[in-house]
Parts: sequence; structure tokens; C-alpha cells
Amino acid sequence: MEKSKLILNTKPKIGLIACSGENLVEGTITRVATRIVVEKLRPQITTILCQPLFMAGDIKHKGGGKEREFAKIHKTITVEGCEEACGKIAVERYSAPAAATIYIQDIMKKYPQLKPESKEELDEDGLKLAEIVAEEIATTIDELYNSQ
Amino acid sequence: MTKKVYIIPCSGIGKVYGSICRQAAYRVGNDLKPGVTAIECLPLIVKGKKEVVDELKKNKVITLDGCTALCAYYDVVNVIGEPDAQFLSTSVVQKNRDLKPEPTIYPLGENAKEVMEIFAKEIAEKVGELVDGEK
Repeated sequence: MEKSKLILNTKPKIGLIACSGENLVEGTITRVATRIVVEKLRPQITTILCQPLFMAGDIKHKGGGKEREFAKIHKTITVEGCEEACGKIAVERYSAPAAATIYIQDIMKKYPQLKPESKEELDEDGLKLAEIVAEEIATTIDELYNSQ
Repeated sequence: MTKKVYIIPCSGIGKVYGSICRQAAYRVGNDLKPGVTAIECLPLIVKGKKEVVDELKKNKVITLDGCTALCAYYDVVNVIGEPDAQFLSTSVVQKNRDLKPEPTIYPLGENAKEVMEIFAKEIAEKVGELVDGEK
């Protein structure tokens, strides 16, 4: 896995929203991949937005409103586990159009040999895919961050 | 026809308590109360996908939250109405002070797994009550 790049944080951070869908292994992959990005690959220039908190944005006293405000004024990437694109739609509905959307299934098509099965606990293939997805997210982050 | 019990975890991604909710939902659905429970994606519910909303309205719903923002609870209330039960994973630690979960969100640490197991049993008990109430 690519090591974290030390970047002087002088520009606005990039927001990440993972669909985290509970019913699909792809949802778990979005979740793990996003954590890899914010913890290891691009910790200095990213922030993770909690999908349920974002969607429940009316709970302003608990921080939900802040998540929506962040996505209004920062570039935000949504990471989707299926074609429903819940994250993308929510960001567009409550904040502003997402700066980029990454569909896990598009990436999975490029690696047909990897067949993740367990949504509960990612198996070896699932973890490999999560790392591949994390790298793709990191590449998109660099493009967006550098274009600011 | 007996109603199913849908378990809707918040799956918050910023703190370990969201992960505990997610794993507890799987534990109940797969091991403790298989056959009578089901899981649905919270984002899909909030998006308002008709088939999902209709299905939940016809069945029982339990929400699991990882913090006092109660996102899963409020999201479900907004779309479906009041759930049949709601749980907060932090309450397990309030009752078991020696079990401070590790902050790692993935994979869960040993204490976090133990909290998850206790939490799952509490949820399974409620599932049993809801299912029995249907008979």
C-alpha cells in the first residue's frame, strides 16, 4: 500500500462520504477503503463525513448540520457500493453536487478474479479490493486537492 | 404471516460505536435470530426507495445508534415512523465500565467485540419479544 504523503495542509480539506450500505459487501468495502484513505493514505488533507449524520442533518444540535455545511463549501467525494448512489444523491440534495463519485462496482469489474463474499468481515479478496479502491480514492483526492 | 424484524444500524464511520452497531446487527441476523430478522441499508431508507420503505412499514423495525445524535432513529422516524424499539451501543459501556472499546473502527478490537456481543444479546432479546408479540 502506498505510504501517506506528507503534505503541508494549506488548502481546504477534501470530504469523503462512504455509502456504508449494510446489506452489501460493497458497502463494507466502501467503508474500509475510506478508513484506509483517512487513516493511512491522505490523513492530512481529508476528512470523513458520517453518512447517517449527514443524512439526518436536521439534528443540528448534534452536528448533523455541520456535516452538510462542510460539504457545501468543500469538495466532497462520495464512494458508492451500488448504483443507487445514495451518497451522491444525498450530497446533491442537502449540500452541493459531489466533486467526484467513485462506484465500487466499476472498480470490481476490473478485477474479476477478486470475489469478496462476506459483508460482515471482509475476506482476503475483500481487503485487497478495499486497498485498490482506497488507492483510486487517493488519486482522485490528489486531483481535486491540487486543483484548488 | 409473521412479521420480520428489520434491524437498522447507524453504521457511523467516525467512531467505533457505529461499527459495534453494524457488527451487532450482523450477529443478530446471522447467528442469534436468523430467519426472523433482516438488515436493510440505512442510506437506501433515507433515499426513500419505495420497495424498501413499503417493506419496512409492513414489518417490525429496530434502530441501533452509536451516539446520541440517534441518526438511525431519526432517519427511520422521518421516513417510516416510530420504530418498534431503539438501542444505543454506548449504553453497554455505561453498564460495563471495565469494557472500554478500542477506538479502531475496522477491525474491531477485543473489548469492542465483547461490547458488541453483549449489545447483540440485548437486541436479540427484544427481537424475541417482538416476534412473540406477533403470535
